[in-house]
Amino acid sequence: MRTLVFIPAWNEETSIGAVIADVREALPAADILVVDDGSTDATSARARECGATVATLPFNQGLGAALQTGYLYALREGYDNCAHLDADGQHPAKEVARLLEEVIEDRADLVIGSRYHASVGEAQADDYRPTLSRRIGTSVFRFFLTLATRQRFTDTTSGMRAANRRVMALFSENYSPDFAEIESLQLAVRQGLRVEEVPVRMLERVGGTSFLTPLRSAFFIFKGLVVLLVGQFRPRQAEAER
Amino acid sequence: MSALVLAAQSDTVRLTAQTRIIAAVLAIAFMFLILEMIRRNRLQERYSVIWFVAGLGMLAGAAFPGLLQVVADAMGVRDTNVALFSLVLFFLLGLALNFSVIMSRQAAQITRLAQERALEKARQQGREEARNGSSEQPLEAEEKRFQG
Repeated sequence: MRTLVFIPAWNEETSIGAVIADVREALPAADILVVDDGSTDATSARARECGATVATLPFNQGLGAALQTGYLYALREGYDNCAHLDADGQHPAKEVARLLEEVIEDRADLVIGSRYHASVGEAQADDYRPTLSRRIGTSVFRFFLTLATRQRFTDTTSGMRAANRRVMALFSENYSPDFAEIESLQLAVRQGLRVEEVPVRMLERVGGTSFLTPLRSAFFIFKGLVVLLVGQFRPRQAEAER
Repeated sequence: MSALVLAAQSDTVRLTAQTRIIAAVLAIAFMFLILEMIRRNRLQERYSVIWFVAGLGMLAGAAFPGLLQVVADAMGVRDTNVALFSLVLFFLLGLALNFSVIMSRQAAQITRLAQERALEKARQQGREEARNGSSEQPLEAEEKRFQG
């Protein structure tokens, strides 16, 4: 059983080392791939020093393309399972290990780490406090994605996931570069894959700032809704093959 | 003012000889520009056909002004100017959409190309580290591979 943990990173030289060390400690058997999304700082070099394999995209392509690179690598190199987490230190690796367990035990094809899941409860409140615009965006997406997939999702934009080869095959071919997180969930459910949410603890970010300003958030939400709507009309795999 | 209203209400094409000559010269110059751009490799042939046809259309309109009247009648439009402008507008709209499709396809191709290169770099790093044997991590990875 071979496992790959990949970390999409864009200008995260300050936090990447700690994240790699964290993953190595929590998942000593897993290979680590850092997907450097065209960083202009020393992210690649830091990751290599820390012993990770680095896939460097020649220019910044966005999170979706970076994640797809990870799935593609996992698929081509023959890994049985893969997981990814953010490079900014918000995702504790031992939570990633719990997600991977679900996939290894074959209880789900794709597992999402949710920071909003009800059972996280008070422990969460101390560690992670989302901003207002993020809370609004989250609830809008939650509502529409639940409507589209008829499955309850609480944390639609979570960047902490674990997956098996079925998901790798799907995501390495069909992954929206603009709206990776949400459309991928919709796609996976529509293709009949078992998608499961697991409550996780997340931390405040170590370095850097979130890219979400109110105006951007509004645009982000609007774009997301259009993507979801279009996604509902995409052919399912079985139909497309016919 | 009343002259303008009369002109707007007139339902026949009235092109002066001067206008027609200017239009024809522009159309011919346009087609020469297209040919020249193909010759200098500034424009690929497959994108030039549509522009060349547009140039021919312009030339035809200048040579036979009655043509525009026929088109306007077919569209049920009284004013030939409206017919002309709406035709050109839809043509350009379609062209812009076509370019968006081409751009989307090329963006996807560029992304895949970048990803393939990134994967190749990662594999290369793995090979180099295995050859040097300096780093312990890739050797561990190799061992796991055999055990698994």
